[in-house]
Amino acid sequence: MKSSRIRILTTALVVPFALSACGSSPEDQVGTDGKVVITVAIDAGLEKAAVDAFTKRAEQFEQANPTVDVRTQEYTWTAATFTAQLAGGTVPDVFTVPFTDGRGLIERKQIADVSEQVAKLPYAGALNPNVAKAGQAADGKQWAVPIAAYGQALHYNRTLFRQAGLDPDKPPTTWAEVRTAAKQITERTGQAGYATMTQGNTGGWILTTLDYAFGGRTEKVDGDKAEATIDTPEMAEVLNTLRAMRWQDNSMGANFLYDWAGINQDFAAGRIGMYVSGGGNYGNLVTQNGLKPEDYGVAALPLADKPQAGVLGGGTLAVVSPKIGDRSKDAAVKWIDFYYMGKLTDEQAAVADAKTLAETKQPVGVPTLPVVDRATYDKAQQWTKPYVNIPLAQMKPYTDKMFDQPLLTEPTRSTQDVYKILDTTVQTVLTDQSADVAALLAKADADVQNQIGRS
Amino acid sequence: MAVQSPVRAAPATAPREPGSASRRRSPVSWVRRGGLSTLLFLLPLLIVFGVFSWAPIVQSVVMSFQRTNLVGPAEFVGLDNFVQVLTDPLLWTALENTLWFAFLALLFGYPIPLVVAVLISEVRARRGLFSALAYLPVVVPPVVAVLLWKFFYDASPSGVFNTVLGWVGLGPWQWLQDQGSAMPALVLEATWAAAGGTVIIYLAALAGVPADLYEAAEIDGAGIWRKVWHVTLPRLRTVLLVTFILQIIGTAQVFLEPFLFTGGGPANSTTTLLLLIYDYAFANSLGGDYGAATALSIMLAAALAVFSVVYFRLTKSWSGS
Amino acid sequence: MSRGIVSPSEWATARIRVVLRTLQVLLLGGLLLTGLGPVLWLAKAAITPTQDTLRTPLSVFPNGFDFANLVTAWTRVEIDKHFLNTVVLAAGSWAVQIIVATTAGYALAVLRPRYGGLVTGVVLGTLFVPSIVLLVPLYLTVVDAGMINTFWAVWLPSGASAFNVVLVQRFFAGLPREMVEAARVDGAGPVRIFWSVVLPLSRPIIGVVSVFAVVASWKDFLWPLLVLPDPAVQPLSVRLPALQRYVELDVFLAALAISTVIPVALFLIFQRLFLRGGALEGAIKG
Repeated sequence: MKSSRIRILTTALVVPFALSACGSSPEDQVGTDGKVVITVAIDAGLEKAAVDAFTKRAEQFEQANPTVDVRTQEYTWTAATFTAQLAGGTVPDVFTVPFTDGRGLIERKQIADVSEQVAKLPYAGALNPNVAKAGQAADGKQWAVPIAAYGQALHYNRTLFRQAGLDPDKPPTTWAEVRTAAKQITERTGQAGYATMTQGNTGGWILTTLDYAFGGRTEKVDGDKAEATIDTPEMAEVLNTLRAMRWQDNSMGANFLYDWAGINQDFAAGRIGMYVSGGGNYGNLVTQNGLKPEDYGVAALPLADKPQAGVLGGGTLAVVSPKIGDRSKDAAVKWIDFYYMGKLTDEQAAVADAKTLAETKQPVGVPTLPVVDRATYDKAQQWTKPYVNIPLAQMKPYTDKMFDQPLLTEPTRSTQDVYKILDTTVQTVLTDQSADVAALLAKADADVQNQIGRS
Repeated sequence: MAVQSPVRAAPATAPREPGSASRRRSPVSWVRRGGLSTLLFLLPLLIVFGVFSWAPIVQSVVMSFQRTNLVGPAEFVGLDNFVQVLTDPLLWTALENTLWFAFLALLFGYPIPLVVAVLISEVRARRGLFSALAYLPVVVPPVVAVLLWKFFYDASPSGVFNTVLGWVGLGPWQWLQDQGSAMPALVLEATWAAAGGTVIIYLAALAGVPADLYEAAEIDGAGIWRKVWHVTLPRLRTVLLVTFILQIIGTAQVFLEPFLFTGGGPANSTTTLLLLIYDYAFANSLGGDYGAATALSIMLAAALAVFSVVYFRLTKSWSGS
Repeated sequence: MSRGIVSPSEWATARIRVVLRTLQVLLLGGLLLTGLGPVLWLAKAAITPTQDTLRTPLSVFPNGFDFANLVTAWTRVEIDKHFLNTVVLAAGSWAVQIIVATTAGYALAVLRPRYGGLVTGVVLGTLFVPSIVLLVPLYLTVVDAGMINTFWAVWLPSGASAFNVVLVQRFFAGLPREMVEAARVDGAGPVRIFWSVVLPLSRPIIGVVSVFAVVASWKDFLWPLLVLPDPAVQPLSVRLPALQRYVELDVFLAALAISTVIPVALFLIFQRLFLRGGALEGAIKG
């Protein structure tokens, strides 16, 4: 008893200091068997089958690269925890971040410069230039690899559409139609006709999406100067539409504090008729929230009849932790190539990936925007066709139009801060019946200007 | 705690080397008198407090005058962080919300446990059952309690509370989804979760009121109300004052409820000071504003310290001793 | 003899008795509803299918049970793992707190070094610093020490509790001095005295500190949330809010129920200890 207590005490004293000794300088982690060890991100909260599929892919990778030992670490990017994880150095060696954060992370050197390794990839020159930009440093070096790109889309519940007497094959194509459909859904089914995210910066993200769809922009960047353009007729129209749906039609349900995961969950549970989110969301809805495939429908985001109107796009970058050495960096980029990019660019890999996913009943064939050139994208679609196990027909309203809609990038200045300010704006409209839209916009405009003027 | 004079631990008969007796502070005699073993016994405290309490407190003060992103070296910026925090319009919202929370928490949470405790103390049989029931919510893990109540607060007509309201022809209420009712909803849950603990404290204090005081009051012809007013409450004064200040200090640091229930919404109506500190430090995915976070923490700490001191001064003079 | 505010003769008065009894019955009803109600509802919801809980949350099993929820919660949500983490965190925090408080209490109250007053003063001073002031620098300390995602990040800072130290110190100071002196005359060194004389006498105070330590650790949220970002080492309190987003409602409620059963069971078994601990907390702080 006594000795064990002393042992605990000495361990308590020694361990932290021993740990602090092996601190920051980048080093390869090599196992006793001489293999270089990398930890790679796996989505948080996956169903068992999805975890199995991932493990299987990791084993395949280890067979192809016998000098690498792949370990998995549960990781999902969220604005609130990412900074703590990054500062704490607890991100996996390979992890993913949204396009929004790419430029900032590169500027602050918070991710590793793997441009050398990336340049050697066969498709390095063929990346879709619009998409590649999100992972480039100011000098054009590709520090991060874009692995997925999305455009926003309107997701809807076909079962609720049917119950409400709407045609699930003819989803709304204008915002006026969205409003009528939402009203009808609420009246006939009692569920929220249209819901929107409002929390953890997602409110600003969706509000910006709608602003773009109505033909607006949230900022005007001219060289070093940036001007907030929140207080515009387009944004006012967006807020007034939301306000009418919330307070006149009462068709927006009873939850105005949704974040990304929360709205996905309620949608999958059949409590939401329609909502706006990334076009490739089907995968998450099925693997994390247990969505019933027959409920699912997705349509192109309705755009105002203006030349400036467009779809906000974004995507995911695979990045490498700055804390690892050169051998690990090589292995990390190989993993990115194998796990994220292979299925987009290489027939064998695409088929292997699709096969593994299909065998473990994971979705194959979810529509996303191409991160490489269109030709490669179309080819990849052909390779995996036999394994597609998702209701593609239910996604036709989206896939028919997704390449024709003009794609716009997210605001570039202090993006998260701007979104945070807009969170409050949209929450106010949805929870305060007497909210003064003009005053709200004037305030948000000033706040945003203050924010982007500073940086 | 008074400073104790050191007790000689070593037997006085211990042989001494010549000369050491005159130099009382020589290391050898210090060790021999048990100085080293005393220090060894203090070592866990010194290390744990040193690394995890004293050093961070000092660092906190330093950081409040610095700007750092943890990547480059920190630079001193004078009072910039304080100015930035004080000019942040959200600060005043958060301050107002925190005061509102504290006020509501006192309104719900202060009298109810007292009344419940007084009633329970008069129960003759199965008093244990009463206190166990009152204490049960305290045992439910706080996170579970919040997540459970979040579901109860579902604002649709089929929400748990709204169903109950529906039975009596009320509602549906908006609960967390309205800027006006979100905060009271938070306080309601917090009170539910904490009241049992306060009840138990009061019960113990009530048991300590000597019976002869009541008997003396009865001889003077006092009824129940007068006994409560003139005997019970004065005897509970110390406990009441302490629970009051503990509750204020506790509510000034409320985090769990707004963080899990509403994330500070709707429209910042439940953003508290601690949530604001958390947001400054940890919410922006590209690196926190640690300077602003520590500056606000220090201002809050100072305010609480001033409040405690003033409060104890005032209550001392009230007690009239 | 025990009597409360109401005297036996007042109890004998019919009117007073009726009023008091009514009040007590109302109180019992209220306590049952508010204290037991939510817990029972949770137990019911844990074995009710999602759609029933959503549509008619207050009906009792309108469409039967679904015991599979509990199994799913246990396996898919890995309640067992997170529960174990919770226990390990509590046990470690408890050990660290006991070690720090007893050794320090002994040194300050029994050995009484000359600088004891200074140490006591500096320890007491931290009582007045709210824990949030420490949040950011403590986090950075833990980051620098490489303790993120290790239990040490929770265990060690928990030891810096001035409250415990003062509590134990006061108790030790109240121990009969003669016993220590007698042991000393018998030739026992400070370690022997600590181990064989002081510790055996301090069971009551160790019990109190233990209850505080375990309860505080069980309730802790913000700190483990910050320093344990890896789900594999997270306790229930941190894991449950994250899971809310990834699991179906019925399974989630089952997970909540399982996480509640254990502390409630402990409470029912050690009721006296809990209630006494709760009362003591008030007495000591006052």
